Amino acid sequence: MAYTLDIFRFDQGTDEVPHRDRVEITELPETATVLDALEHAKAEIDGSITFRRSCRSAICGSCSMNINGTTGLACKTPVRTVLRSDRSIAIDPMPNFQPMRDLVVHMDPFWDKYTRLKPYLQPKDKDEDHATERRVSPEDMKKLVAVANCVMCATCYALCPVVSVDPAFAGPAAIAYAFRFIEDVRDSKRKERAAQISDDYLWLCAHCYACSYCPKHVDPHDDIIAVKRATIEEGITDAAGPRHALVVAKTIKATGMLHETEVIQGTVGRFNIKGLIKVAPLGIRLALAGKLPPMFLKPVPKVDEIRTIFETLEAPTL
Amino acid sequence: MPATLEKPVIKGKSKSAQMRKYGFFPGCVAKESCKELFNSTMLLADRLGIELVELTAASCCGASVLNDTNRDVARVLNARTYAQAEALGLDDVITICSTCTGHMRAANKELLENESHMGQANAILGKFGAKYEGNVIVRHLLWLLIDDIGLDELSKMVVNPLNGLKVAAFYGCHIIRPESVNGWESARNPHSLEDLIVALGGEAIDYAGRTRCCGFHVQLEKDGIAPNMVGQNMRMAKDAGAEAVITPCPLCHLALDGYQADSVARWGRTDLPIFHLPQLVALALGVDPSTLGMNKHIITPGLVLQQHDLAPAHVA
Repeated sequence: MAYTLDIFRFDQGTDEVPHRDRVEITELPETATVLDALEHAKAEIDGSITFRRSCRSAICGSCSMNINGTTGLACKTPVRTVLRSDRSIAIDPMPNFQPMRDLVVHMDPFWDKYTRLKPYLQPKDKDEDHATERRVSPEDMKKLVAVANCVMCATCYALCPVVSVDPAFAGPAAIAYAFRFIEDVRDSKRKERAAQISDDYLWLCAHCYACSYCPKHVDPHDDIIAVKRATIEEGITDAAGPRHALVVAKTIKATGMLHETEVIQGTVGRFNIKGLIKVAPLGIRLALAGKLPPMFLKPVPKVDEIRTIFETLEAPTL
Repeated sequence: MPATLEKPVIKGKSKSAQMRKYGFFPGCVAKESCKELFNSTMLLADRLGIELVELTAASCCGASVLNDTNRDVARVLNARTYAQAEALGLDDVITICSTCTGHMRAANKELLENESHMGQANAILGKFGAKYEGNVIVRHLLWLLIDDIGLDELSKMVVNPLNGLKVAAFYGCHIIRPESVNGWESARNPHSLEDLIVALGGEAIDYAGRTRCCGFHVQLEKDGIAPNMVGQNMRMAKDAGAEAVITPCPLCHLALDGYQADSVARWGRTDLPIFHLPQLVALALGVDPSTLGMNKHIITPGLVLQQHDLAPAHVA
């Protein structure tokens, strides 16, 4: 049965604004992938439709695009799983990127964030002759296996809501690559790497798990929180992000609860007048609505048990 | 047998569902800046004829932030909470916060799937005579409404139908993502809140922002991030015709309610009132609107409710 591709069309060289073309697909079954359908459209109907693709098997990472409002690899998305009730599929370039032509986008910001990481091993001893192997135990290698599956398709970057409002944020893939070197026992630049990724707004990750839609199941989120822990271990704590995490831990250890008032003061800094003035408008709005959080909290019953948990695990706090 | 995580309790199967008595984990925000959420939940439970027994000695779930400092502490804190629920004979623990739901379920999944995690937790719990047997299941109130009460039953209980009020659902991340932890409905295309809105007599508004992030967790990390994320999402809801928003998460509520005023410059005025999930359900079920704390919101819903003959403007 026929279906329609509703395709975003734009050429940065000639077009002021994008338009859309509807292409009827009558000869390909619904079991075909979205990439199959696009290639069919390009070969048989309109040769000017432009998109990146190479391997057709989710290894090269070229064909990430927005399919019915959500981003993924076209080669890994069967048509039948995304057909809308009117038997159409909306195909757009990845969000969070500037379109170049049709479904092809400018990837430069994504690559820039990656190259800033110095994404290569920087071992302790300079073995100029490459005479000996740098051996790693299977146990040490195990935690790097998932991130090694990243094909840099930028799906996570396109889905990231923080990138969408602040392009300075490194984005999930770059932080996952930072993890890949920070946790590599052969590397010698753990602290420098942690400092670099902190400067690239590591702590802006909003914990939203949009990157859990990774088509290669890298799931950068766990790597991101591991990098955050590494920065705290390396003593890079003089910023709102690490202060926030550590003051939350402090208030839970003290009262059992996340004490909102103290967390705000502790994150901004009790003596950071400029910072406190910036958060004041929300505080005033809350106060006017009669819902300012309590200044003091009574600890929950048996709070000693909670302190025992923190102390046994040697969990850091502010 | 440990509870299975992939499919939360089927309607009527849990002991709690049969007894209509559940363990209740309100979370920190409902006890601090959003007390109206706690109060409206209790009023709704009363109207539904269910008993929510608060786990008063429970700790914070870790709120996604504790994992940034130590990988084990949140898991063990949650094991302590589950041990308390088991000791009270309440294995079915109900939350009213998306973040609590996601992080408590994630901790439970790690405990149940990894013997070394369970062993570590019980070794520490043993120091104060507690033990987690692995029987707890964590669900959101939204899931209880749909699985244990049922939308058909709920719509029969409606005495104050929403009269076509155009409501946009805002899920909050941690009640749907990651799917491997929650899995109760599709993370990419959930519809439980929309189904609920319709069952209460409202009109569900579709917009792309409904499954996106509110920015709450990074509100203090850099200026303007959270207001921008709020403005972007609320603009989409407003342009799709929404008159109000419903959310199962008090963190989303705080961000959406608090930051619309700060996003005007970039996204224009939106002024959408943000209902906590139990407020809107309780309102439709005939609970006195003046008791639901809607006047405690920054953007109060009074005018919208009056326009739909749902409540006099002054009570909200």
